[in-house]
Amino acid sequence: MKKTIIALFGLLPLTLLAQVDRSKAPQPGPAPAIRIGQPATFTLPNGLKVFVVENTKLPRVSATLSFNMDGIVEGQKAGLTSMGGELLRRGTVKMNKAQLDEAIDQLGGNIGTSAFSASASSLKANFPKLISLLSDVVLRPSFSATELEKIRRQELSGLQAAKDDPNSIADNVTNRLLYGKDHPYGDIETEETVSNVKVGDIKNFFSTYWKPNNAYLVFVGDITAADAKKLSAQYFGAWKSGVVPRPTYKTPQAPAKTFVAVVDRPASVQSVINFAAPVELKPGAPDVIPASVMNNILGGGFSGRLFANLREKHGFTYGAYSGLKSDRLVGAFTAEASVRNEKTDSAIAEFINEFNRIRTEAVPTDEESRMKNYLSGQFARSLENPATIAGFALNIAKYNLPKDYYQNYLKTLAAVSPTDVQAMAKKYVNPGNMLVVVVGNAKEIAKGLDKYGPVKSYNVYGQEVPAPTAKTVDASVTPQTILQKAIDAYGGASAIAAVKDLSMTGSASVQGMNINVTQKQIVPTAFVQEVSMQGMVLEKKLLKNGQYSQSGQGGAKPVDEKDKEEMNENAAFIPEVYMLAQKGYQFAVKGIEPVEGKDAYAVQVKTPAGREYTNFYDVATGLLVKKTTTQEGPQGTMTISSLVGNYKNVNGVNIPMKIVNDMGMMKIEINFNDVKVNSGLKAEDIK
Amino acid sequence: MKKWFLLFSAGVLSIASNAQARKINFEKYTLTNGLTVILHRDTTAPVVAVTTLYHVGSKNEDTARTGFAHFFEHLLFEGSDNIKRGEFDKYVTNAGGALNANTSQDRTFYYELLPSNQLKLGLWLESERMMHAKIEQVGVNTQREVVKEEKRQRMDNQPYGSFLVEMLKRAFKEHPYRWAPIGSMEHLNAAKLDEFIDFYKTFYVPNNAVLSIAGDINIADTKKLVEDYFVAIPKGTKAIPRPTVTEPPLGGEVRATIEDNIQLPAVIAAYRAPKQGSDEYYAFRLLSTILSGGPSSRMNKILVDQKQMALQAAAIPFFNEDAGLFISLAIANMGVKPEALESAIDSVVSDLKTKPVSESEFQKVKNQIETQFVSSNATMAGIAESLANYEVYFGDANLINTELARYQKVTREDLLNVAKKYLNKDNRVVLYYVPKGKKEGAM
Repeated sequence: MKKTIIALFGLLPLTLLAQVDRSKAPQPGPAPAIRIGQPATFTLPNGLKVFVVENTKLPRVSATLSFNMDGIVEGQKAGLTSMGGELLRRGTVKMNKAQLDEAIDQLGGNIGTSAFSASASSLKANFPKLISLLSDVVLRPSFSATELEKIRRQELSGLQAAKDDPNSIADNVTNRLLYGKDHPYGDIETEETVSNVKVGDIKNFFSTYWKPNNAYLVFVGDITAADAKKLSAQYFGAWKSGVVPRPTYKTPQAPAKTFVAVVDRPASVQSVINFAAPVELKPGAPDVIPASVMNNILGGGFSGRLFANLREKHGFTYGAYSGLKSDRLVGAFTAEASVRNEKTDSAIAEFINEFNRIRTEAVPTDEESRMKNYLSGQFARSLENPATIAGFALNIAKYNLPKDYYQNYLKTLAAVSPTDVQAMAKKYVNPGNMLVVVVGNAKEIAKGLDKYGPVKSYNVYGQEVPAPTAKTVDASVTPQTILQKAIDAYGGASAIAAVKDLSMTGSASVQGMNINVTQKQIVPTAFVQEVSMQGMVLEKKLLKNGQYSQSGQGGAKPVDEKDKEEMNENAAFIPEVYMLAQKGYQFAVKGIEPVEGKDAYAVQVKTPAGREYTNFYDVATGLLVKKTTTQEGPQGTMTISSLVGNYKNVNGVNIPMKIVNDMGMMKIEINFNDVKVNSGLKAEDIK
Repeated sequence: MKKWFLLFSAGVLSIASNAQARKINFEKYTLTNGLTVILHRDTTAPVVAVTTLYHVGSKNEDTARTGFAHFFEHLLFEGSDNIKRGEFDKYVTNAGGALNANTSQDRTFYYELLPSNQLKLGLWLESERMMHAKIEQVGVNTQREVVKEEKRQRMDNQPYGSFLVEMLKRAFKEHPYRWAPIGSMEHLNAAKLDEFIDFYKTFYVPNNAVLSIAGDINIADTKKLVEDYFVAIPKGTKAIPRPTVTEPPLGGEVRATIEDNIQLPAVIAAYRAPKQGSDEYYAFRLLSTILSGGPSSRMNKILVDQKQMALQAAAIPFFNEDAGLFISLAIANMGVKPEALESAIDSVVSDLKTKPVSESEFQKVKNQIETQFVSSNATMAGIAESLANYEVYFGDANLINTELARYQKVTREDLLNVAKKYLNKDNRVVLYYVPKGKKEGAM
């Protein structure tokens, strides 16, 4: 009856239809029933557990093989699993990489691998052929040494970038300090460990851990359980089972008292702050759902409290977040932000304020229910992807969860109360027992950090190092004595004066591209320096016949007094000679600082033309080891530093053969390979 | 779930019959105000995609006011009579949903992805936007800055980011396709509030829109709700401008060198091509897959792997309502001159004109296309968008079920013919992208 009435209303003129209240957002309908299917499961005689999530919506199928393991301690071979995972996809005993690519494309499919999984997907019709290729990849890989070297080159260049990236540094140091070097989560990759990885290690890894009785094979898509069974038996049935080692690890403990780990990165204009503590929170534990509500309120995203406080209210950062990870070995609570140098101390204080607030104040009901709405919606939307269902099934099997764990997820979520949220905060957010890793310019940010706990210094590999403390400079040491000692260390005034001309060539690599540097000079009046890439001149500076010029990629650039002065310093061959001889240079000794682990005097220089830079001279040898200048960049002031080293004696004068320019985001290492002194350069050679 | 058990116990053993895409059922109707509504029901997951496609893109813009359609993509999130400024997206995130929009030369597409019990919220938001969006100076000013930032980030600051703009203005001389959706910042600066209001009243009207909804919905209830929220929105009264220009032939190869903040040169060529939906268009889609679909495709194999002349290479079919472009793009490896790269690409392209594609390669690209086509209907958002596109461009939403047959109709001979007819020097624009200051050296 009711239906007819509604239908009749539909026919009435428009004016009568204004029955929706547009003035406010409509209320959601009743929560939708969540139907999460139980996948078909079976186990092959060799122990391979197979799950089938049949979904006939689209005629496509995927198969994903994964392993019941938590990673391994890679130690001196860190990088083994990431490189091994890639190598697996680069050829089988039947096909090299190109042939394998062709075969997969021919089927309109995809195959991907890692050290802990392998997957294949295609349309249903081609799937039997594709899974046969997957089985070749998994069971009969070629592990080509040539391909491994290609992967190693990529890995090393990636590592080069990561070494300078403050976020990677923060992650590495946090993991190492949180889990320790004897835990799978505490590994750090270095050039050395990546170079240590051999084909044999990779083969050994796969033959040890990739056993069917340690694996799950999950089919998702338009495939029946019977077909999946047939395919798994055909292609993975002959896979031999075996004993898989199950190493156990000491459970990492939270620090007895919060401490601050500072990693000095002098080029930083922002500090990366990572709070972390290990927590005991296993997947599927009763705390997981209420604790996730708590974490999302605290710092789950744009609507979290950390974001509102540190970004919206204080403007310290572009974003501040927290995370709570459940894990079978050990979970973790984390919180992080990148903040302007001068706000490092205040930002840490605000983090701790928010940690304390969520522990001590009841969460307002509307804030709590908004978050639960958000999480329910996300959960519901995630179900659109059939792989989500497969993931649920896998978790249930791997972690021994109740069969209806995900079916009840929304119900459990709805039952979370503000009191629960507070209890979870008290349990998992403990500002008194945390590790606070700060990667930044230690000299600028360290002050005040000791109020949060003891402050210790670490290098990028998570090893404790002496704090960059200020050492006192002996009263007898003046800028002049330092510069004079440098001149003596280069070879002495007379050896320097004997250098009439000089030519040097060197090369550098920037993002895989080769750059050439050439320098020629007739001391002290003619000088040319050219930086080029494949014959294209990137930068050129020329001093000749009293004329100064410079050009860049955009053509000629104007030359000001500062540029002229810099060219004069260089043309003098040994700038210290020029600096001491010219009037108007001002010097100040700013202390002793470590450069590459060795003490160096920092001499601040103010030039007559108004340039400012700091030179660092090795206390022991007297040689120049580093130079820093500051520049205005898009993110504020940026420090550019150049490490100078690898001195080589040429005609009685020590000349640096290596310069490493560090511009924060990018490091360029220039190596000079050809140096000639007094080769009889003529004025016309300087051009 | 019962179904799975049934299938399992019945032991259905027919392996891999030929892939047959499942039919996507939908209902299509038009409200009295001209709004086209398409509804697709799929109860697999408790989600719904609520989308609105407005048949307005950059080609509908005034030549002195380019960038308007894309600007509206931003402006129409500003709020409405009943939605306060800045609240639009909060309603969606608080419901656990996601939203966004995009603009092409032909249309603008807005969407909300929501849990299915929030269908009403999606309808309310979309109807508010269509009925009485807030077009105010404050919102115009805010979004103008956002759009400028977007242009800086996505075009000016992005290596090769200006290529579409540079390509379009050379590939078309008459048709409004000669400018890209991002348009001109000067035009946006010069535009008065009245002009924005006028644009809104012209294009963002029910009779120029398709409301496409896919997900776990009850069709009858949804129809009722759509009626409730949308029928009161008045039909547009202004004529909707649509370009009628016929673009004359290119009349000879056009070449230019662009300096950009890049380190590696790039060679980009665009061949004039027919509009989307023609038989030749489907042949072009196959050609682009032959050239760059997957690691074993010709450009990847020859230019990237074997000759190592290109760092990356791709063929992009850029087809629109009134005309198309077939674009090939390659970034040179270290030390490779653009001239050398161009001739290597030309030789790959010229092969398409002289040698028929082998039976096996032909089958490979058809397989790849089929996988792609089937996968595009994997999500409710994908289905809702495809239905709306097919309806607006071809007047046939059912192409979602039948379009694959158009690809299957293409023969190897068709590929040869299309390549011979279009992939010629006098029918193309070639751009060299070179590092700043290197214009002379590179040529």
